[in-house]
Amino acid sequence: MGHGPYPNIPIGGGVSPQVQQWFRAVDKDQSGFITAAELKGALVNAQGQSFSDTACNLMIGMFDKDRTGTINVEEFDKLYTYVNQWLTVFKTYDVDQSGHIEEQELSKAMSQMGFRFTPEFINFLIKRSDPKDGRVSVDQFIVLCVQIQRFTEAFRVRDTQQNGTVTIAFEDFLNVALSCSI
Amino acid sequence: MAFQSPMPSRDFLMDIFRRVDKDRSGYISADELQQALSNGTWNPFNPETVRLMIGMFDKQSRGVISFEDFGALWKYVSEWQNCFRSFDRDNSGNIDRQELKNALTAFGYRLSDEVVGIMVQKFDRFGRGTILFDDFIQCCVTLYTLTSAFRQYDTDQDGVITIHYEQFLKMVFGLKV
Repeated sequence: MGHGPYPNIPIGGGVSPQVQQWFRAVDKDQSGFITAAELKGALVNAQGQSFSDTACNLMIGMFDKDRTGTINVEEFDKLYTYVNQWLTVFKTYDVDQSGHIEEQELSKAMSQMGFRFTPEFINFLIKRSDPKDGRVSVDQFIVLCVQIQRFTEAFRVRDTQQNGTVTIAFEDFLNVALSCSI
Repeated sequence: MAFQSPMPSRDFLMDIFRRVDKDRSGYISADELQQALSNGTWNPFNPETVRLMIGMFDKQSRGVISFEDFGALWKYVSEWQNCFRSFDRDNSGNIDRQELKNALTAFGYRLSDEVVGIMVQKFDRFGRGTILFDDFIQCCVTLYTLTSAFRQYDTDQDGVITIHYEQFLKMVFGLKV
């Protein structure tokens, strides 16, 4: 089903016409596949800036099931839904609608997502994303949340006594750090 | 490290600095640095690596390199070039899995093929199973950062640490700082 270079437009069901249209607009070279670079042209945060390279690579990586480094229209449909879900979450926590999530808003977001972080750690996350202004844009927020989810899962698997600590050897540590990060 | 480069003369450095500082601002920006560096292909030098180097040598945290910082940066790049060339045994202009393993062994690591494989996968930007010069720098610096973070907790130096959740997160997140 649609492995060639031509866009695969299903007759019924499948991808909505709007998403297909958007796909065609983003697929600048009309190859039938979207690269991270083309995606960058399509995804914009509240400040009118393109999503970061990191965020775009993450998105492609998550939805590129056949490991071609690109995504087709069906994979794009899933990505589109995913990004919109995150946008909704982001807007929920961007209470002052600044287009950024500040430290307090991030703290609330993490807490409501089920994480129990100390204020020091929230501060660390904010500083890491934006050392200057201490706030997080939607693409940074997505990258942050996805990374936290991945690392938390890796930690949980190793926390055999379920007491919030792990005993980990160097190679395993490297393995986790390299595989889970973007 | 056996890849030392002698520090060149001030005139020599000034000459290079001027050529890199295309807009004659008196500072080298990330873009200018990226254009000046080559990874041996026609693809632009890895922007992550450029940011990394600016971060390391930009003493005033302005996001640019002044002439004062440039000498140290130049030396750093030269030493990496020497290092890379010495491990690119077949002179292919890139480092494959085995050459990377050799390099890491020479740096003092004892890593399994599996982890070396993961490193190639992560730093090989063009999906060819090999690592270019800019990605090699990125790979080694990342490894160094992770090793340092680990070592801080490994007080008895037995290669195993016990850490809490947030400590763990900080260590693995430390990569992007």
